[in-house]
Amino acid sequence: MTAIAAERYTGASIKRSEDPRILTGAGRYVDDIKLPGMLHAAFVRSPMAHARVLSVDVSEARALPGVVAVLTGAELEAMTIPGPDALMALMGWAGPMPQFTLLATDKVRLVGDPVAVVVAESRYLAEDGCELVEVEYEDLPPVVDAAFALDPGSPPLFANLGDNIARLHSRSEFGDVAATFAGADRVMDFRIDVHRHQNVPMEGRGCVASWDTDAGVLTMHAATQSVHVTKIAVAMRLGLDQDKVRVLAGDIGGSFGLKIGASREELAVAAASRAVGRPVKWVEDRGENLTASGQAREESFDVRAAVSDDGDLLGLDVKMVVDTGAYPGMGAMVPDIVSAMFPGPYQLAALGFESTAVTTNKATYVAYRGPWASETFVRERVLNLVAADLGLDPVEIRLRNVALRTDPPAMMITGRPLVGVTTKESLERVAELVDLPAFRRRQEQARAQGRYLGIGVATFIEAAPGPRAPGGPSGPMGLESMRLRLEEDGIVALFTGQMPHGQSHQTTLAQIAADEFGVPFSQVRVVIGDSDVVPFGLTGGSRSATMTGGVALHGARQLKAKVLDFAAHLMEASAQDLLISDGNVWVRGDPASAIPVSEIAGRAAAGSFGDDVDAVLQVEATFDGGEGGWSGGTHCAIVEIDAETGIVKVERYVAVEDCGALINPAVVEGQIRGGIAQGIGAVLLERSAYAEDGSFQSATFMDYLMPTACDVPRIEIEHLETVPLDADVNFRGVGEGGMIVAPPTVVNAIEDALSPFGVRIYEQHLPPARILELITGAR
Amino acid sequence: MADITLTVNGAARTGSPEARKTLADFLRDDLDLTGTHVGCEHGVCGACTVIVDGRAVRSCLMLAVQAAGSEVTTVEGLAPDGELGPLQQAMWDSHSFQCGFCTPGFVMQATAFLSGHPDAGEQEIREALSGNICRCTGYQSIIDGVLLAAERNREVRP
Repeated sequence: MTAIAAERYTGASIKRSEDPRILTGAGRYVDDIKLPGMLHAAFVRSPMAHARVLSVDVSEARALPGVVAVLTGAELEAMTIPGPDALMALMGWAGPMPQFTLLATDKVRLVGDPVAVVVAESRYLAEDGCELVEVEYEDLPPVVDAAFALDPGSPPLFANLGDNIARLHSRSEFGDVAATFAGADRVMDFRIDVHRHQNVPMEGRGCVASWDTDAGVLTMHAATQSVHVTKIAVAMRLGLDQDKVRVLAGDIGGSFGLKIGASREELAVAAASRAVGRPVKWVEDRGENLTASGQAREESFDVRAAVSDDGDLLGLDVKMVVDTGAYPGMGAMVPDIVSAMFPGPYQLAALGFESTAVTTNKATYVAYRGPWASETFVRERVLNLVAADLGLDPVEIRLRNVALRTDPPAMMITGRPLVGVTTKESLERVAELVDLPAFRRRQEQARAQGRYLGIGVATFIEAAPGPRAPGGPSGPMGLESMRLRLEEDGIVALFTGQMPHGQSHQTTLAQIAADEFGVPFSQVRVVIGDSDVVPFGLTGGSRSATMTGGVALHGARQLKAKVLDFAAHLMEASAQDLLISDGNVWVRGDPASAIPVSEIAGRAAAGSFGDDVDAVLQVEATFDGGEGGWSGGTHCAIVEIDAETGIVKVERYVAVEDCGALINPAVVEGQIRGGIAQGIGAVLLERSAYAEDGSFQSATFMDYLMPTACDVPRIEIEHLETVPLDADVNFRGVGEGGMIVAPPTVVNAIEDALSPFGVRIYEQHLPPARILELITGAR
Repeated sequence: MADITLTVNGAARTGSPEARKTLADFLRDDLDLTGTHVGCEHGVCGACTVIVDGRAVRSCLMLAVQAAGSEVTTVEGLAPDGELGPLQQAMWDSHSFQCGFCTPGFVMQATAFLSGHPDAGEQEIREALSGNICRCTGYQSIIDGVLLAAERNREVRP
């Protein structure tokens, strides 16, 4: 390990401890696991969007040499416990739940729906076996879009629901909606659509399940955002006690919300391992990933805006429809967060909100980086549409409506205090950085030459973790736990339930603990990925900076106090007179007294002490989020559009962000840039496309276009660190913001570029063909 | 099954892969070189890039038997003694990667490119790496790592 000299590690771009292994090919991803006797699974998948399964004939497949087992949906149903999706159960789903099995039994509900699993000596042989499984289907009319799903005459995907409504949210009103609209100078109506796109981590889903017949224990090597949520899901479906399931995870090749808990296929693999008594590996290929792992967004919004002639956005009234795909879970619950976040950093007087979640014969809606992001897209689009109608500048209309920092803080009309929110400052800084008047002059000159430049701004706030509720007993995200231990070799070990998959926690948490405890960075070890060893936790929701950073800080402080108490006994000094720095305990003012913490730990382990001495140098710490707070900021894109080809080039992208104190600036900026790249991809390239018959049209990377190094510009980032809220923990999450705010930023810029044509944009996916249609349509 | 012999990271290796087995699967399963990652199996994402006889190759689109007699370098071959090579070091210094899954492909693609274009600038590097997909970083940190490696290389050249 390279020695790192720094006054404080926290706040510095310390090089990542993850990198030496990933740069040399020594990372350990789930597909790298090879267990003795391990078999390989492949799934027979439906080619139909909606069909009855009449028969499944597996006899030929079973006879193929190398095939060990073929399990149909019905066979798997008999060996597992039916029940709800584990995540939905944990989050408290209300209302009738669609009933379904791990693999399709009576019917298939999407192209790619798994019907049977073949287990064989190699993946090649397992796929050979799949070819030999004969499934007889009877066509049912596919329900491919939300409009048809809303029609009571559409054939229900789930018999027990009776229709295709997965969940109805009754209307909520915040503020006086009727009076606000009655008093407005004008009321404007918009229909705004967000298209279906998806996570696409470079590593798909996968697992190795290994059943130990003698112990009755299932060990699951998983690619997951939480070993514990996966453990709960496996235990529930396999009918095992939770202590009979152990989930291990190593390096994970990205997720962005996809790998929470365990998917139907992963649970089927776990059941298959138990059935055959041997380890079984399944790693999805890219076709499976694009077709069947899950997709996101696809939401539509009917929005009414109450506006004053001066440009005050007074109220919004929103009807949302979310297309949850075939096996509803997250998608049916996301409207709750959308509704709560809809006001953003703006001072709305009233919000009306209602929503419907429908089931369709498409891939299941999954969480994708900022699952509620459509509220930001719609709101930031509406602000621009209103500004265009009133002849206001987009920055001006935002500055006019943004909540100011006041004491007590302004409240979102949906109930949360906008404490410490610096949207106004970020807007002003962005306008300065891009020199708006100078851009407008350049834009005008370019137009005179037939070149179309446009600028777009958008703001966002992210509850990362969110403000402490007024008078609330604890922080907004519940508790985060961590065990910290001083090992005999002087290593400070942090055991965390965070399951990083690119977030660099093994670096950032070590930075915080090293500073707080007083050891070199290299003397902290962050232990992850074993449900038998680490406390409960989940990486997601931009949670870890505050929650896990906070528990690392407070836990290290507690452990240090404990070590000093013990050292005081050994060194015959008062604990108050002792310090720890650079890995040594010493008496204040007497450097010669220094003893390495490893020696202290060694003596604690070796010695025997009276009852008055606590020699167990370990703490179980929790943290409730402290004062919490918001992340947020303003982004700005400058684009140039070729009106002949429809190609949009992002020429410049500026982000001014406030995520409080930075733990590791390079890590923070990596999160921001990565999110922006996904947002640019979502607008210009990516779409999960279905044909009218429900067949899936973007099952390869030649059809589902991902942004490359030539599509994403250099991204300029500035940080505001304006408002410390907590005495110690002012790190706030930054994982989702880029993906939340980049789509409206880019679309706003495109509309500005196309303003000479009079184009108005009410959608998010704008590939070249669509740009040309918009130009032609406006002409 | 066919017996093949090839040189991998400087050492002679033999194997008997099925004719249909890809080079990527052969390296990973038969030779236990799991540094080479499989990201799409249709030649678009570049995660499986290795160097075959001096050229960057998608090992998911090449059969193992086609590599018989060839000289193959995988990411494991760039740091044989555990010491990072200069490009790897520059990428570490630049915080180039996040989840690490695309990493071996970028490292191999950039290694092959820089050996033929030591003076490449940012735009050339972007184009040279545009056949590799990274979902985490937005590419800037990767490009910076390659630029830094090229710059350091120029400093040590006579």
